[in-house]
Amino acid sequence: MKSFQELILALSDYWAGQGCVLQQPYDLEVGAGTMHPDTFLRVLGPEPWRVAYVQPSRRPADGRYGDNPFRLYKHNQFQVILKPSPLDVQQLYVQSLEAMGVDLAVHDLRFEEDNWEAPTLGAWGVGWQVMLDGMEISQFTYFQQAGGLELAPISCELTYGLERITMFLGLEKSIYDIRWVPDGVNYGQVRWQDEHEFSKYNFEIADVDFLRRQFDGYENESRRCLAAGIVLPAYECALKCSHLFNLLDARGAVSVTERVGVMKRVRDLAIACAREYLASRERLGFPLLPKGPDSPAAGAAGVEVARG
Amino acid sequence: MDSTMQPQAGELLLEVRAEEIPARMLPGAVQELGTRLFEELMSRGLSPKTLDSAFTPRRLVLILRGLPSKEKDRTEEVLGPPVKNAFDAAGKPTAAVAAFAKKCDVAESDLRIVEAAKGKIGKTLRTFAAQLSRPAGEGATGGGEYLAATKSIIGRETVALLAELLPKILIALTWQKTMRWGAGTGPWVRPVHGVVALFEGKVVPFELLGIQAGCESAGHSTLSPKGFPVKGVEDYLAALASRSIVVFPAERKRLLLEGMTERARALGGTLVEDSGLLDKLVAICEIPGVLEGSFDSALCSLPREVLATSLRDHQSALTVEKDGQLLPVFLTVMDRPDDPAGRVRAGNEWVVAARLADAKFFFEKDRSVPLADRRAGLAKLTFQEKLGSYAEKSARLVELSVAMARAIDPGLVPDVTQAAEFLKVDLATDMVKEFTDLQGIVGGIYARAEGAPEAVWQAIYDQYRPAGAKDALPRGVVGQVTALADRLDTLAGFFGLGLIPTGSKDPFGLRRAALGVVRIALEGEAEFNLEAALGVAFGLLREKLPVKGVVESGASVPSPSVSPAHRKAFDQLVEFLRDRLTHVLGERGFAYDEVAAAMGADGGVLDFRGIAARAAALQSARQEPDFAIVAQAAKRIANITKGSEAFTFTGASCSLEAEVALWRASDKLHEEIVAAKANRDFVAALSAVGRLASPLEIFFRDVMVMDPDERLKQNRIALLQSIQTEILWLADLSQVVIERSA
Repeated sequence: MKSFQELILALSDYWAGQGCVLQQPYDLEVGAGTMHPDTFLRVLGPEPWRVAYVQPSRRPADGRYGDNPFRLYKHNQFQVILKPSPLDVQQLYVQSLEAMGVDLAVHDLRFEEDNWEAPTLGAWGVGWQVMLDGMEISQFTYFQQAGGLELAPISCELTYGLERITMFLGLEKSIYDIRWVPDGVNYGQVRWQDEHEFSKYNFEIADVDFLRRQFDGYENESRRCLAAGIVLPAYECALKCSHLFNLLDARGAVSVTERVGVMKRVRDLAIACAREYLASRERLGFPLLPKGPDSPAAGAAGVEVARG
Repeated sequence: MDSTMQPQAGELLLEVRAEEIPARMLPGAVQELGTRLFEELMSRGLSPKTLDSAFTPRRLVLILRGLPSKEKDRTEEVLGPPVKNAFDAAGKPTAAVAAFAKKCDVAESDLRIVEAAKGKIGKTLRTFAAQLSRPAGEGATGGGEYLAATKSIIGRETVALLAELLPKILIALTWQKTMRWGAGTGPWVRPVHGVVALFEGKVVPFELLGIQAGCESAGHSTLSPKGFPVKGVEDYLAALASRSIVVFPAERKRLLLEGMTERARALGGTLVEDSGLLDKLVAICEIPGVLEGSFDSALCSLPREVLATSLRDHQSALTVEKDGQLLPVFLTVMDRPDDPAGRVRAGNEWVVAARLADAKFFFEKDRSVPLADRRAGLAKLTFQEKLGSYAEKSARLVELSVAMARAIDPGLVPDVTQAAEFLKVDLATDMVKEFTDLQGIVGGIYARAEGAPEAVWQAIYDQYRPAGAKDALPRGVVGQVTALADRLDTLAGFFGLGLIPTGSKDPFGLRRAALGVVRIALEGEAEFNLEAALGVAFGLLREKLPVKGVVESGASVPSPSVSPAHRKAFDQLVEFLRDRLTHVLGERGFAYDEVAAAMGADGGVLDFRGIAARAAALQSARQEPDFAIVAQAAKRIANITKGSEAFTFTGASCSLEAEVALWRASDKLHEEIVAAKANRDFVAALSAVGRLASPLEIFFRDVMVMDPDERLKQNRIALLQSIQTEILWLADLSQVVIERSA
C-alpha cells in the first residue's frame, strides 16, 4: 500500500511522463487546484498546455479542529490539465491509477455524471466523479467555459483527492492514521496541529473587521493592477479576495443577502482577469502556439502538443 | 464458424461507443434514436420486421431485422415551367421544354399540361401533343397552366440511405446537456470512440464526430478493453456475452433484481424494492454484478428512513428488511461479474461506514436539542427574500391552518396548531441539511420521538404529500389542513410577487404545489373552503406583497382581508388552480367538454368537489336521449340571450300554449333546483333539467322568440334567461358537444 508521499511521487512521475510541466503549488491560499493560474488562466485561449501539480486547498468552513477522521480544512489535490483534451484521456487516467498501484482486475471503476460549476470563476464543465469501489476518488472535467469565456480548444482537468485516496486504498479508519512516509511519520504527526489551530483561527479568532478591510484593499489593488495592464498580480489579488470571502463565511460574518453581493465582487474580478489574460497572451502572439513544423515554440515549456 | 453467427439478410447493427453517458439520459436517447430511424425508413417505404434498442453507459445500440435491401422503384410527379414560358408566340416549344424533359429524363412527347397553384399539381388538362396542335396563341398565356412530367425514380440501396440517415439522426439526438472536447469537436453528450454500422454484414460508410463507422467494437473498459471485429448481429451479441456484457437494459434489470432478491433471501430477509434506483443501477453498468455489503448492526438504531436515504443517495444501494426492520446490509451494483479479492465489498463497506457514522453523529446532535428549542433557528432561514423567513412563514401557517380547521371542526384546532407550529422546524436540523430529501420526514420522526400526538407527527411527516399524481395524501385531516395551508401560503406569496410559472419553467415547483391543493381538495377527508382559505392566505401576506400600479376605485375583492392591489394575483392564482383541476379531471377520464361544462357552472370557482361531482353527473347523464335535446336547447338559449339585457318575465304576457307550458315547467325546475342545491344533488338537478327537454323542444318549434312585438319578445327572452340561470348552477351545458346520431 502506497504512503501519502509515494502516491504524490507516483502521480508526478506518471504525468511528467505524459509531457506535463511538473509545476509547484501556487504559493497563496486557494480553495482548489483549479484556481492555480496554471489552470484557470492557461485553459483560456488557443495555446496547448499540459501541467501537473499538488495544490494544498484551503476550505475554512470544512475544518473540524482535527477531531473528525474524514474532514479537513486543508487537503491536498493532485491536479492535471491536458489541453487540448486528447481522445485517449480516459485511458491515460486509468493508467495513472495503475501507476498508483491500483490493480483494476480486482476493483470496480465507474464514471458517474457529475458536472462542475464555479459561479465565482464564471466557469463550468462537464464530466464525472470517478468511483472506485463505491468511493469518489477523482473529479474528471472537460472545461467548457472559464471566466465567462467559451473555451476552444477544450481542456481536461483531472483532480485526485490525495488524502482520501491514500486512506481508501489502505482502508484506514482515520485520515490522521495514514502513512505520510513509508514506515515513518503519519499524516497526523505532520498535520494535526495545523488542522487544530487553523480551525480555531477560522471559526473563532480571525478578526472580521481586519478581514473586511483586507478584502476591500485587495479588490482595489486588483483593479489597479488591471488598469496598469499587469494581469498576473491582479489575479493574485482576486485569489486573496476569494480566500478572505471563505474566511468571513466560516466566521459566520456574511449574511444571506450580503453573500450574493460579495460573491459577485469576486466573480467580477475573476472574469476581468480572464479577459485581460487572454488579451495579454494575444499581445504576446500566443507564444506556446506551434509556429510551424520545426517551431521551437511548440516544445518551449516542455509542452507536448496533442497527438489526437 | 457456426452459420448462425453469419449476418442475416436485412439485419442492421448500429453501435456507438462513447465515454460514459449520464444514466439519466440513456433511456431517452436510444428511444429517440430508434423512433427517428424507424420514421425515416417508413417514410421511404422501408419497413423493418423488428427494431430493438439497447444501451450501456458506453454504448448506444440499435438492431433492426428484416429491412429491405433497397427502396422500391417509384414515380414522382414533377412540375415544370408555366405554359406561357414554354411556348413561343407561334406555339412552338421553347428551350425550357427541352431542359425540363431532360431534367426529368423523359421524352418531350411524354410531358403534359396541368393546372397548378402554389407549386401543387392539379388536374391534367391535355397532352403535350394536344398542346402542340392548338392554334398559336390560344391558351398559351393561360394563368395556372404548367408543364408536368412523371419521373421514374429507381429505389436507392438501403446501405446508401443508411449512410446518409444514421449520422444525421445521431448528431441531432437531443441531450439535456452537451459538451465539446479536443480542438472543439462536438457538441454531443460525450466524446465518441467507435461506431459499428453493419447492414447485412457490410459496413455502412459514414463519419460521426471524427470517427469513421466500421466493424470493430470493444469490450469492457477495464476488464476486456481490447477491440474485436464484428460480423453481424448474432456475432456481436455473442462477443459481448463472452465478455459478460449484457447490452439489453431490461435483461440487466431482471438479472439485478433476481440476484438481489436471492441475496436478500439468503440473508434472511426480503429486498425493499426501489424500481427507480434499480433503473439507475442498470444505467451505470455493462455487467450487472450484484454487490452485497454489511455495516455495524448498532447503526440500525438510526431511523429506518435515514438509513435507507443515506444508502440510496450516497451509495445507490438498496436495503433488506425483516419483520419491518432493516437488516444491517445493503445491495448495490458493481460493473463486473465477481469480487475476487473482496476489494469491491471492502471499499463499499468502508464508504458506507463513514457515511452512516456521519448520519449517526447528526442524529444524536439533533436529538440533543428538543424541537421546541429549534424554532428560534427558523428566523435565520430565508423562505423567500421578500416573503420573509421560515419563522414568519410558520406564523402564517398557524393562523391559516387554524382558520381552516375552525371552519371544519373546532375540535381539530389544538392538533392543527401544534402541527403548524412545528411543520418547518426540521429545516433547522443537521439531518435535513445533509439529506434534503428527508424534509418533513425528519421532523415527523423527531416529533414522534418526543411524544407528540399521532395526528401531529404524522402531519409533519406527510407535509410534502402528495408528491405527484399517484402519491398518497397526508394521513388524516390534520395533515391535510396543514399541507393545504403550506401550499396556499407558498402559492399566494409567489403569485403576489408576480413569480408565476410560464411555459416549461417552474423553478419554485408551483405546479406541483397546485396539484397538491387540487388533490387534497378533491380527495381529503373534509370539505375545504378553498376560496375562503385563499382569502385568508392573501390577507396574511398583505404586508409582504408589493402594491403596484393604480388600484381601481371600488374594485371588488374576494375577501375583506385581501388588498385590492392583490386582486389580480388572486384571480391569476384561481385560474392557475382551475387549470390544474381541468388537467386532473382530464386524467381521470372525463371528456374535455364535460370538464368545460362543469367548470363553467355558476357555483363557486374553487368548489373543486362540486365541479368534479358535476362532471361525473354529466358523464352518466349524457347517455340519456333527453340530454342531447336539453344541451341543444342550452346552446340556442345561450345564443339568443347573448349580450341581451336582463328582462322581467310576467306570466300574464304569455300568449301561446307552448310558452305557457315552458313557463310551468320552468317554475317546477326552479323548485327542484332549490332542493338540489340544498343537498348538492347534481344527479337530481340533471334529471330535473332533463324534464325540460320536451317543453323546450315544443317551445322552439312553435314560438318565435324574436317576435316583432317588442313586449312579447322581451318576455320570451326573460323566460329563457330564468331557465338559463337555473341550468347554469348545474353546468354550462352549451359547452357540451352533441354527437349527431347517424
